[in-house]
Amino acid sequence: MSRDPYDILGVTRNATQKEIRSAFRKLAKKLHPDLNPGDKNTEAKFKEISTAYELLGDSEKRARFDRGEIDMTGGEQAPRNFYREYASASSPGEPFRSGGGFAGFGDADDIFASFFSRRARAPGASPFHAPGRDRHFSMQIDFLDAVKGTKTKVELPEGPALDVQIPTGTRHGQTLRLRGKGEPGSGGGPAGDALISISVRPHRYFTRDGDDIRLELPITLREAVLGGKVRVPTPSGPVDLALPPNSSSGKVLRIRSRGVPRGNAGAGDVYVTLKIVLPDRPDDELASFMKRWASGTTQRPRKDMEG
Amino acid sequence: MDDHEFCHRLKIEVTELELWIQEGWLAPQIHEDQRCFHDVDLARARLILDLTHEIGVNEAGIDVIMDLLDQLYGLRMITRDLISAVGNEDTAVRVRIRTTLEKHLASR
Repeated sequence: MSRDPYDILGVTRNATQKEIRSAFRKLAKKLHPDLNPGDKNTEAKFKEISTAYELLGDSEKRARFDRGEIDMTGGEQAPRNFYREYASASSPGEPFRSGGGFAGFGDADDIFASFFSRRARAPGASPFHAPGRDRHFSMQIDFLDAVKGTKTKVELPEGPALDVQIPTGTRHGQTLRLRGKGEPGSGGGPAGDALISISVRPHRYFTRDGDDIRLELPITLREAVLGGKVRVPTPSGPVDLALPPNSSSGKVLRIRSRGVPRGNAGAGDVYVTLKIVLPDRPDDELASFMKRWASGTTQRPRKDMEG
Repeated sequence: MDDHEFCHRLKIEVTELELWIQEGWLAPQIHEDQRCFHDVDLARARLILDLTHEIGVNEAGIDVIMDLLDQLYGLRMITRDLISAVGNEDTAVRVRIRTTLEKHLASR
């Protein structure tokens, strides 16, 4: 089994154990072979979700899977006979029988049998209708596309590509739902939804903290000592930041409302952490100044760590 | 198999088994005053376990589900017997029955 267990259960990689359990229960209700006596396909699907749940339902196994120590094949389900195999076999004296589900009867080429199988499937013509299943996909998007929102397409194994609107501020692990883009319903039932789980590629220097953006900004020693204007990249374009004189490495400056847009409620902030970078090569003039610089010998930046 | 082996294979307590039998969810054969479980009981018990443990159905729910499932499987069996009985008839009879069925369907 090579499919990703998270995809099989339709959950994101950072779903809670509770979300995983509820996703499994939802699928198990739909796919349990004994609850779908006529549908031959449910058995394989049920085994697949059971195997995925076996792995992800146990937080310890899940952690080992996330670290790549075990894979889906580690948890293959033992062969099992479902109740429907016995309940469908005619055995006289079987205690449980009370007197439909029409799908799955014999050869459909018989005039009579085909009537039933057709009834179970024919769209529109029958009183049976069921909504289509949801389809699950996952896609990767760029960091800035997730922050600013974009339009993109998902290529599908079959059928036309889906247009997907990535909303501004989309988070890693978020699932987008496209109504009616799942499997078609049967008997006039509504189509299922397409569920797209989004993973956001990391950015070279931006990181996301809720609606805020953080980055580390390298500055020169001169800029650190004297202050001045420095140009800072933000997701919505560069901003000139007034650096106060005497700024240490690690100092954090805030640029308001340049972070992740929050729809109509403004945007998060950008937090800039300064990082002083010395000259690429040792500088004689700087070194000789430092030797002469008296207060450089009296400063005690580690005094809190002493004693 | 007896009570003990049955419970052992399902990893359930005897009290749980007693409850299932009392509720009528399981009906093992009685052989010389001893309960005797077969593979069909095992499969049925696994379904009950799936419903309670995996799907999260409560006792009242199991009652309803098992009852409806028994009706469903019973009906399926009757329907299959009917199909097979009709299948043994002449083509003319089969076509006539089918035409009637289609009329019923159309009138709904």
